[in-house]
Amino acid sequence: MSTCEKPRTFVLLEELDEGIKGEGDGTISWGLCDDEDSSLTKWIGTIIGPPKTVFEGRIYQLVLHCGEKYPKVAPEVKFNTKVNLPFVSATGHIDSRRFHYLLNWTKSCTMKSLLKEIRRLMTERSYQKLKQPPENMEY
Amino acid sequence: MSDKVATTESGSDLITIFVKTPKDKVEFSVPSGILIKDLKVKVSEKFKSTVEQLVIIFSGKILKDSESLNHHQIKDGHTMHLVIKSLPKNTQASTGANSSTTQTSSSGDQRQQQQQQQTNPQPAANPFDLFSGLGSGLGSFGSGNMMEMQQQMQRELMSNPQALQQIMENPFVQNMMSNPEILQQMMVNNPQMQQLMERNPEITHMLNNPQLMRQTMELARNPAMLQEMMRNQDRAMSNLESIPGGYNALRRMYTDIQEPMLNAAQDQFGQNPFSALVGDGSNSSDATATTQTIENTEPLPNPWSSGGRNASRTTAQSSAATTTTSTANSSSTGTPAAGSMFNTPAMQNLMQQITENPSMMQNMMNAPYMQNMMRSMSENPDLANQIFSQNPMFADNPQMREMMPAMLQQMQRPEMQTVFTNPRAMEALTQIQTSMQTLQREAPGLFPALGNTFGTNLSSTTTTSSTTGSSSTTTAPTSTSTTTSSATHQALLSQMMQTLATGGASRPQEPPETRYQAQLEQLSAMGFINREANIQALTRTNGNVNAAIELLLNARN
Repeated sequence: MSTCEKPRTFVLLEELDEGIKGEGDGTISWGLCDDEDSSLTKWIGTIIGPPKTVFEGRIYQLVLHCGEKYPKVAPEVKFNTKVNLPFVSATGHIDSRRFHYLLNWTKSCTMKSLLKEIRRLMTERSYQKLKQPPENMEY
Repeated sequence: MSDKVATTESGSDLITIFVKTPKDKVEFSVPSGILIKDLKVKVSEKFKSTVEQLVIIFSGKILKDSESLNHHQIKDGHTMHLVIKSLPKNTQASTGANSSTTQTSSSGDQRQQQQQQQTNPQPAANPFDLFSGLGSGLGSFGSGNMMEMQQQMQRELMSNPQALQQIMENPFVQNMMSNPEILQQMMVNNPQMQQLMERNPEITHMLNNPQLMRQTMELARNPAMLQEMMRNQDRAMSNLESIPGGYNALRRMYTDIQEPMLNAAQDQFGQNPFSALVGDGSNSSDATATTQTIENTEPLPNPWSSGGRNASRTTAQSSAATTTTSTANSSSTGTPAAGSMFNTPAMQNLMQQITENPSMMQNMMNAPYMQNMMRSMSENPDLANQIFSQNPMFADNPQMREMMPAMLQQMQRPEMQTVFTNPRAMEALTQIQTSMQTLQREAPGLFPALGNTFGTNLSSTTTTSSTTGSSSTTTAPTSTSTTTSSATHQALLSQMMQTLATGGASRPQEPPETRYQAQLEQLSAMGFINREANIQALTRTNGNVNAAIELLLNARN
């Protein structure tokens, strides 16, 4: 497994399966935007705002675009739900230069871990001062 | 796993799904075609909440009430995520007990105004605790929670200058920052700052200056300005560097002061102007080392005061009391450097500029180190003599040289200093001077007579100061100058003003382009490319570059 490279589809199908089974701690979720999308390109991720943060009670939806070179090349990530985070641009795109996980993306990274990392950052104390836009606003 | 499911398409078969919250996972047996709305009813019973509070998420998607499980191809064994929201209309309250201090309803649209809204699990992080803590003194900065939070905050801020700017623009923060006491307390309570201050007493001095702090805050609010400032400094440094021996002094200065400061700042700007200086300095240091080796040990952050003090210590054994000043950089190595300092072409150039530009003179007189220098010079006539003998302006003018010690004494008087720092007074003096010159031209016989009386007075003054070299001399000029008649004072003054004012008085005839050429170059180097506007600004500000910049910037806005 470590020596030979897993094809893109395999990796993505594995991730899809994990998403359906609700792997993880129940605070993030991910799946295909369109269940019929056989190219496995456009994904949707959901982050439940961590409790006791400004993000608590909010549900953040992100679109992840897994290109042809995934997982060697990191997906493009964009928030659909408006959020105020320093690494998220005014259009909702995550600035990979300012988000270390995308910056240091390797082929062993997954969307799950990516979402997890975003959620972890939401618990950063320094972000708790950031004024968040009203709930359910979209980019 | 889907092989277990046979006929989910029909929508009537029971499937087992899991509903998962961060805390637990509950199994539900539902018809595969169940509407989300109905599923929510089941779930709400189990989780003791209302249907409205529930949000069900499956593979990244929020399930809508009108949809069915089929619609999302949710099959046996699949897991959904459940979010139980706090009661509607009160969503903000769900952000935890601590958030009650935040502005709830109006918060949304003021995205730019951050800072106020701070929710945190730790009670200590309550914003009001934080600030009241600061205000009352040591506050909670010492506690572990706060330290951790602060560190995270710092890290974040460093990586995000925009956020810093936003915070700085917040009126609340501005208010806080404009109170130097609070700031100072903050500084004192910050362990990093403490370390920095321990290692660099100069910085401590700086931090204790509320005005300076305010300016720094101003800078932090305006990154462009900060960059501008750094660029200016860079230029100034390279100028200094060209002075023989200046490089070595700069390097010292860099390691002592600039490095710790800049290390903090440079992340934002990517480059350190001083590191370049150290990098390419190897060749220049070779060149300077041969000629100015003595000066390498010289602390040069303040060439005026340190030089003056060094020399006064070596030449005349004046009592220590006369040289005690409160400035931080008193670490002298006792090298006879002051003379050679003033001997450098750059210094002489500076002197010349001073005499040609009254406003520069004024600026210089305002600087505290200038006053220091004055003091040490007047305390030590030998040094003054040395300096002035090496300056062509004075060297060519023995009379001038002779009266210098007394003149310095003069300069030191507070009244005189106020005169120098007041541009209008300077102007008036130049006017007097020009009329004196006219008088001299028109009535040449008048002056020799006057000059004689002053001359005798002067020679007596200078002999006392130059012949004696022991500690008694330091007091000698003082006494002589105080006893000299007021007429002598005036003569000295007029003489001095003549030299000072030759530039100033004759200049106005020249076009501003030539008069302010140096300043114009400076401005254009800073990026003010509109020459006309530059000239205008300089004319209006009498050639004061800083004031001109302010004017230009204001005009631009």
